[in-house]
Amino acid sequence: MRLSFEWLRDYVRVKADAEEVAFKFTMSGSEVGAVTDCGADKIMEFEITTNRPDCLNVLGLAREISAIYDIDLLIPDIPPGISGNRDKIEGIECVVKNRQLCPQYTLRIINEVNIKPSSGKIKERISSIGLRPVNNAVDITNYCLMELGQPMHVFDLDKIKGGKIIVREAVKGEKIMTIDDEERELEPGMLVIADTKRPIAIAGVMGGKDTEVSADTRNILLESAYFDPVSVRRTARRLGISTDSSYRFERGVDKSMVIKASDRAAGLIKEQSGGRISGFIKSGDMKIDPRVVDINIKRSSAILGIDLDTDQVANIIGRLGMKVLSSGGSCISVEVPSFREDISRDIDITEEIARIYGYEKIPATIPRITPEIIRKDVRAEVKERMVSFLSAAGFNEIMTYSLISEDSTNRFTSFNKKPVALSNPLSEEQKVLTTQLIDGMLRSVSWNINRKNNDLKLFEIGKIYREEKPGREYREIPVLCIGMTGSLKRNWRDGEKTVDFYDLKGTIERILDDLKVVHVFETGDIPEMAPCAVIKIPDTGAVEGYAGRISPGILRDYGIEQDVFICHVRLDNVFGGVDLKKTYRAVPRFPFSERDISILCDKTLKSSNIRDMIIKAGEDLIQDVELMDVYEGESISQNKKSLTYRITYGLDFRTLKDDEIEAVHGKIKDLLSSKLKVSFR
Amino acid sequence: MDILKKLTQIREEFHRAAGEARDLKGLESIRTKYLGRKGELNSILRNLSSLSGEEKPIVGKEANVLKKLFTETLEKIKQEIEDKGPSEEIYGFDVTLPGVPPPEGNAHPLTRTLSRICEIFVSLGFKIMEGDEIETEFYNFEALNIPLDHPSRDAFDTFYIRDKYLLRSHTSNVQIHLMQKQEPPFQVIMPGRVYRPDAVDASHSFMFHQVEGLMVSDNIRFSDLKGVLLLFCRSMFGEDINMRLRPHFFPFTEPSVEVDISCIICGGSGCRVCKGSGWIEILGAGMVDPEVFKAVGYDTSACTGFAFGMGVERIAMLMHGIEDIRLFFENDIRFLNQFR
Repeated sequence: MRLSFEWLRDYVRVKADAEEVAFKFTMSGSEVGAVTDCGADKIMEFEITTNRPDCLNVLGLAREISAIYDIDLLIPDIPPGISGNRDKIEGIECVVKNRQLCPQYTLRIINEVNIKPSSGKIKERISSIGLRPVNNAVDITNYCLMELGQPMHVFDLDKIKGGKIIVREAVKGEKIMTIDDEERELEPGMLVIADTKRPIAIAGVMGGKDTEVSADTRNILLESAYFDPVSVRRTARRLGISTDSSYRFERGVDKSMVIKASDRAAGLIKEQSGGRISGFIKSGDMKIDPRVVDINIKRSSAILGIDLDTDQVANIIGRLGMKVLSSGGSCISVEVPSFREDISRDIDITEEIARIYGYEKIPATIPRITPEIIRKDVRAEVKERMVSFLSAAGFNEIMTYSLISEDSTNRFTSFNKKPVALSNPLSEEQKVLTTQLIDGMLRSVSWNINRKNNDLKLFEIGKIYREEKPGREYREIPVLCIGMTGSLKRNWRDGEKTVDFYDLKGTIERILDDLKVVHVFETGDIPEMAPCAVIKIPDTGAVEGYAGRISPGILRDYGIEQDVFICHVRLDNVFGGVDLKKTYRAVPRFPFSERDISILCDKTLKSSNIRDMIIKAGEDLIQDVELMDVYEGESISQNKKSLTYRITYGLDFRTLKDDEIEAVHGKIKDLLSSKLKVSFR
Repeated sequence: MDILKKLTQIREEFHRAAGEARDLKGLESIRTKYLGRKGELNSILRNLSSLSGEEKPIVGKEANVLKKLFTETLEKIKQEIEDKGPSEEIYGFDVTLPGVPPPEGNAHPLTRTLSRICEIFVSLGFKIMEGDEIETEFYNFEALNIPLDHPSRDAFDTFYIRDKYLLRSHTSNVQIHLMQKQEPPFQVIMPGRVYRPDAVDASHSFMFHQVEGLMVSDNIRFSDLKGVLLLFCRSMFGEDINMRLRPHFFPFTEPSVEVDISCIICGGSGCRVCKGSGWIEILGAGMVDPEVFKAVGYDTSACTGFAFGMGVERIAMLMHGIEDIRLFFENDIRFLNQFR
């Protein structure tokens, strides 16, 4: 909202320059963005908060200056015009059908006007703030809107059909051509001003073209009314319009200004265009019960952390246009004027005092804090550890959008459970909440590869979302997603090693081991990955995650031409199974012994079967079983492979003897050959 | 006396050769040359008989002295070479070839910024609480004194899912859930992801992150809000930072403020980043409006509190000079790697 500094100074004789006044405005709650020159005047650009509609006009802002600088406000002299309580005079009748939406409607009749372009101060002032001058009647309504905050409208009286003004809701299908040359379709619920034939204005929002005042107009109807804020807001939004008028009605105009503003405007119109004020119609009365708020200076002082003085407070309150009814000791009774609908409690007045007093004068203190004992919960700790571990292992953390397209969701059928869709998305690209983090990971991989960043180790700890019961229950599940592609390592000394499945597996195994979450990898089979492993937590038996190479069909959709290995693990059960305690285990004092065992078996035999059997057979004598080598080559048959394990034998409490070791080792070999049909090399 | 001169010459040659010895092989060849059966010293000793009676003992003695000296010197050098290590590796070793560094990854810059903000408040005794992103109108608007049909709602436009369910537009929902379950005193911070239907451009994103804070007890003052925020601003942005509070309006706080810090780029003299004003807005804050306490069932005469909120992306962009918010979600590793 733009305002002229000289206009302001008509109502308050502030001596400071525009820049200083702008600064004071900003520091008291009416933010001034820019101060620009306009001839001899300066124009200020304001951003007024929604709770202060009284500051959307010169008078309100002048009142602020009066309080800030402690100088007098010069309220313009508005001689009361013809008054009246009738809703009908010769030639015009007024009917308000909906009192709820329009508690008061007034019309002033001005005959024999001479409509021409405005001149002098009126034209100068409204042009300087960016309003387009139209003629000496319309311009005055705009002038008064900016001066007093009351939006008004002028109709060409002779264009009104049937001698009747009806304030009613629109009927379905009704249309109106508004003054901006747009044809608008109206709906029930929208309040309109109509004559006996058709709507002539959208109440509080915009006037109709048919009845607008032009150079031919001889007789004017000046409307000044109060319209329900919610109704004006809904109507304006529905039609996609926002005007200076609707902006103010939405926020609530000053009920006591409705008639006064009409007097003011009528006086100016008479001055500027000649004419005779011949009548006044009023429909509806608004009871304006003065609101009284009591405040306690001691309590206000305590809340703010400063020492307030009763006289100082009373002065500020008075300057802001509020009336001090009584004061005794530290209590003050305040009558709140009609233009301050935002003040109804003592805390509201405390804020008024503080912002005029100046926030810069309030000291900075440290409160007494009773520190929380537990400041981070387990999930936060676990997340931190994962980020820490993965960073140290060379992974970059990524963050992807939680809203994706339906196509992206449907691509991953194994994960597409109960997706949550938005009813008002900005675009098709952001319609559904993520059901998996793989899409985001592949997008990031694709983005990087397209920019020649081919070697990637990425991870994300994010969420997937589910609609468990539409409109009633929703779930957000934390997920860890790791993606690896390209070279794991490439340098002049070691050559190049491309990422493979076991690099991914090793990473996720280490993370789960570190958290002491017991887990197993089993062969999986989902369309999105091949090969694929499912990760399970034995206690729950449920699938917690998948790890594998993304299938070529999906990679094609992302334009990726190299292998990508992705792991996707839900963390809700992981969080539950975590053990962060570190308990010391005595360092072994007795020597261990190693024996190697080279096993020849079918290619299809899972290494976990062998390892599990070794451990089972070895009973308590085995400290460790380590896979040393996997061989599938020329010296053994096509359908066989050779696995070499190193078994470490030992006890915690004494040295194992050689014959004991040989016995167990032999037992292991027997069991392996009899149960798993393997042989030895 | 030529022989004595010869011996001196041999001694000098030996010391020169020994000084240049680099490895055991080289040492062995020196040993052979000077101390071997056919070596210099032994050939002189063998020819002693051809010398005169007076020369013989002198030359003989000198030759034997040298023999002992050479033997000891070679032994010493041999020990040094063995202690230092095989020279085939050391000789010709190129220390200028590139090193092979260990793997290096990093947390996302938003995670780091969020961490840093939380760390400051945790050290003051605040607890970190997180909440759901899918929320109902009550927890996102009504309990926060934001009426559903009022212009003040415009600032909090939201994505809707179904019926009253929506994607939260601020992390304030966590405050309400907390206050429904717990009585004061407490102080918490609530980091999290929020959503607003803003078209994506260099400074706007439909998805971003906030950290909000709430402290409630029986006697929290406005001056306490100022003090805690000042502490935060200085810890986060630098000891010399100035802070100012500007009156503003939020439906859930009264009084409400916007918080500016002195521009971290120009120090307050005015630049493009602070648009010449010398100040940058980074936080919204205020004393909790009693209507909020009423909505959660607190006795409004017995408690006061303050609340604040900040955008994590905005702060990260200010601190690192990042000009486009979209960079955070493109995940280009050339961007990510700059934040180790």
